[in-house]
Amino acid sequence: MKKHIVKRRGHTEEFDERKLYASIFNALTVVRVQTADAELIAEKVAKYVKDWLTSKHEVTSKDILHKAAKELESFNDDAAYLYLHHRSVS
Amino acid sequence: MPKSPVYDYDLICIGSGAGGNVAASIAAKKGKKVAIVDQAPKLGGECPNWGCVPTKALLRAAEHYEMAQNASKYGINTGDVSFDYKKVKAWKDLAVHRTGTEDAEEFFESHNIDIYRGHAHFIDKHTVSVNKKRYKARKFLIATGTRSFIPPIENIEKAGYITYEEAIDFTKLPSTMAVIGGGAIGCEFAELFATFGVKVTVFEATPRLLSREEPEVSELVKALMIKRGLDVKTGTIVRKAEKHGKTKTTLHFNDHNHSGQLTVDSVLIAAGKIPNVDLGLENTGVEYDRHGVPTNEYMQTNVKHIYAAGDVTGPYQFTHTASYQSRLAGNNMFTRKDHWQEADYHNIPRCVFTSPEAASVGLTQAQIEEHGVKTKIGLAPVNTIGRSNTENHSSGLVKIVCNTKGTILGASIVAPHAGEMIHELAVAIKYQAHAHDIANMVHAFPTWSEAVKVACASVK
Repeated sequence: MKKHIVKRRGHTEEFDERKLYASIFNALTVVRVQTADAELIAEKVAKYVKDWLTSKHEVTSKDILHKAAKELESFNDDAAYLYLHHRSVS
Repeated sequence: MPKSPVYDYDLICIGSGAGGNVAASIAAKKGKKVAIVDQAPKLGGECPNWGCVPTKALLRAAEHYEMAQNASKYGINTGDVSFDYKKVKAWKDLAVHRTGTEDAEEFFESHNIDIYRGHAHFIDKHTVSVNKKRYKARKFLIATGTRSFIPPIENIEKAGYITYEEAIDFTKLPSTMAVIGGGAIGCEFAELFATFGVKVTVFEATPRLLSREEPEVSELVKALMIKRGLDVKTGTIVRKAEKHGKTKTTLHFNDHNHSGQLTVDSVLIAAGKIPNVDLGLENTGVEYDRHGVPTNEYMQTNVKHIYAAGDVTGPYQFTHTASYQSRLAGNNMFTRKDHWQEADYHNIPRCVFTSPEAASVGLTQAQIEEHGVKTKIGLAPVNTIGRSNTENHSSGLVKIVCNTKGTILGASIVAPHAGEMIHELAVAIKYQAHAHDIANMVHAFPTWSEAVKVACASVK
């Protein structure tokens, strides 16, 4: 089932797991996590968010940001902080 | 001039249980446009479907079974007593059916309340999304309840467990069971299944069962459980679970001095509840924490047009507090501020439906004394009163806690029908009665309530 993400300006987009994976991966590489580990963590975080979305049809981009950051925090605090506060990497 | 917002509803309640439906009905009666959103398979919330009603119906069946087993003591010949647990479940299903929750949708619609079945997710402070459709409301009530807390036991997900939601639907009982958690739910299920012959072991991590109640209550409930044949391990933490063969589970546990293992057919987890707050509250600014969504005395969250009621807000997780809070919220959200009603929790009764029941109200002795207030205590066993003789039941107590002036601040009862008896003391607390007021009141002979009178007379 397609999941709709309400963006900051009010329009909606379909949830794109690859886009989320990429932004998590970027945040991890910026804090110098090895590429192989970064891939593994990004995959886990993206899957976690995807699973969380199962029961939902529509959430905001802010929800995705917070959910992903919270999960990423359990792997790497610095990357989570960066992901949450520096939108240029995400 | 800015356009005023257009709302689909005056009120959207998220949750159709006691915390949500009372406010919804009040608002609808006031002519407000109201909707309820609920994602559960059945409307009506936990109490009638998975909580109070089915468990009390099952406990009633257990009580009859036990009475029949003991009937010969009173000259009643029953022959061999046995049970058919499929029929016990059928009786439970009948009790649930009679609550009318199956017809809840029609009921709400006949009261001009729209029902949406699905997950509600806040998009902003005034909008929720349900099944991809958005609804705007002037006010919201969060009444999403709680779900079972699963403690961090290594491998528990793989080894498997059940919670109260599955435990009420057994059609065949296991031979052995571990109950993890010695609170109200754990104690009730442990006794229920033990009465029907299941070998039950209760694990409680804190040093005593019903750890928020008076120590005398905890000790007596534990002693009575042990007398019934249950194994009660307090101060014991289950660390790890392993699948043992195809159907059994081995639990690894330890207390301060020992570690051990227990292999059982079924593991029931009753280790507390956690609030359902996965609602996009971040999009509204509503604050919440692991205990739930806090409110002020008018049931408002920090975002004033969003209210919360029931288990999701606490401080108690009872149907009677949920409906009380929902009534306050329903009243306060659509009346002038000078007519708002404040929540008052100081005389909320608490009942545990063990056999005999354990009920309490107000503060415990420890809660009062930790504020530096000196106490006077009255304590009476129930075996001194006439009813104890005629009922052939001698286990129980009444404890009264007063300030030094004798004003009743808290009370606990372990006795048959304690859940009924406690209300006398709830009234006493509400109207700041002194223990001697109750002691001087004539109580009917022979009733269990005479023990309340005796305990009040003994306050010193």
